[in-house]
Amino acid sequence: MSEWREVFSAVAEFFLYAVIAVFAQNAVFTRALGVSRLVHLVDDDNVSSATFAALLTAVQLVSAPLGYFANVYFLRNFEYRMFVRPLVFVLCSAVAFFIVLLLVLVVFRTKGAPRIIPVLPMATFNCCILGTLMITTTQSFTLLQTMGFALGTSIGYALALVVVTEGQRRLQNPNIPAPFRGLPATLLYIGIVALAIYGFTGHMSTF
Amino acid sequence: MRPELFDYDDSFERRTRRDRIFFNNPVIMQGLGLAPIIVAATTLKNAVMLSVAVIPLLVLTRVIAAVLARATYFRFRGLTYSVTSAVVYIGVYFLMTKLFTAADLALLGLYLPLLVVDPIVLKRYERPQKERVSTAFSKGVITALGFALTICIVGGLREILGAGALYGVQLVKTPPFPMAAMPAGAFVLLAVLMAAWRGVVNTIKRQVELEKGVRTGE
Repeated sequence: MSEWREVFSAVAEFFLYAVIAVFAQNAVFTRALGVSRLVHLVDDDNVSSATFAALLTAVQLVSAPLGYFANVYFLRNFEYRMFVRPLVFVLCSAVAFFIVLLLVLVVFRTKGAPRIIPVLPMATFNCCILGTLMITTTQSFTLLQTMGFALGTSIGYALALVVVTEGQRRLQNPNIPAPFRGLPATLLYIGIVALAIYGFTGHMSTF
Repeated sequence: MRPELFDYDDSFERRTRRDRIFFNNPVIMQGLGLAPIIVAATTLKNAVMLSVAVIPLLVLTRVIAAVLARATYFRFRGLTYSVTSAVVYIGVYFLMTKLFTAADLALLGLYLPLLVVDPIVLKRYERPQKERVSTAFSKGVITALGFALTICIVGGLREILGAGALYGVQLVKTPPFPMAAMPAGAFVLLAVLMAAWRGVVNTIKRQVELEKGVRTGE
């Protein structure tokens, strides 16, 4: 029985961290990670949001364990870790970049790959990926918690993308004053959604 | 008719195209570098620290990556730019530890290392054209200054509204708008600032167009 209990509590812990990352600590609405990319993405008709979200999830899930092991075996005991932290994590995401690139090439072959590959650099080198690696390592998450948090962050980002895209569509309104049209209206909208999230989680100012 | 004014008009257009401080501010017009502005720039001091970090990071990354990008395949240019900025960050962090105390740097949390992959530093890799080193340097400097100006304005406003202080000096007892210290308030504040800024830019541009139209009789 005790093994079952262990498995159950591990699964529960994984999903708890995923849910925390989706809602209470949403990458976009509470930490503003990757907002610059998001506001461009919702305007850009050349880049599909679904492709971006799928690639972000793939890169996130590959880079999170790499970041975890890099932290445990190297960074944690290294005296000058504050200096090389971004370099180590950028290299982790670079490894994830090549793994995902290979996966895309194998799975989609020549048919879909030319459409997907241009999006990959944007989905890899952004604040959302690096931010997740930083948060999970500085807060000393276990591997299970790290994976849950990484999955949750990607889902949270995809959710934010859907919410902002829908908001953007409804903000195409001639009654909006000219200077507010476009970027300012979108930011105002994100601000109000962020406020709504504080409504049920409370605001934690740790970052 | 004063013919010299036509030259002024041409140079006005050229200047507005090249300007990154006011007319094409990277934050206000393109929405780059929002993460540090919205979360970390809660006080003017934080904003100043982030500006001090961004200026060398952006300029050096852009210049070095412009050279390295000549030798790399276009699809891997994002990698070139990110690794370059992560290496430059080692030097920038050293500079920051000399200028500010560890307690001050801790206030920035993960937003100081996150500058490495911020679109304001990496944006250029998305364009396929290669960049001349001199252009990379001059554009890097003005883009960084435009960012520094905006983050200092937002940081100052948020400190006054959210804490009733400026650069650590208490001005009023009760903060007029405490929400400004939170990310949600910062989104709203930045949106209003952006709209005001864009409104002024559009008015100036329209005015110049109008004057030009009157002079040329269009």
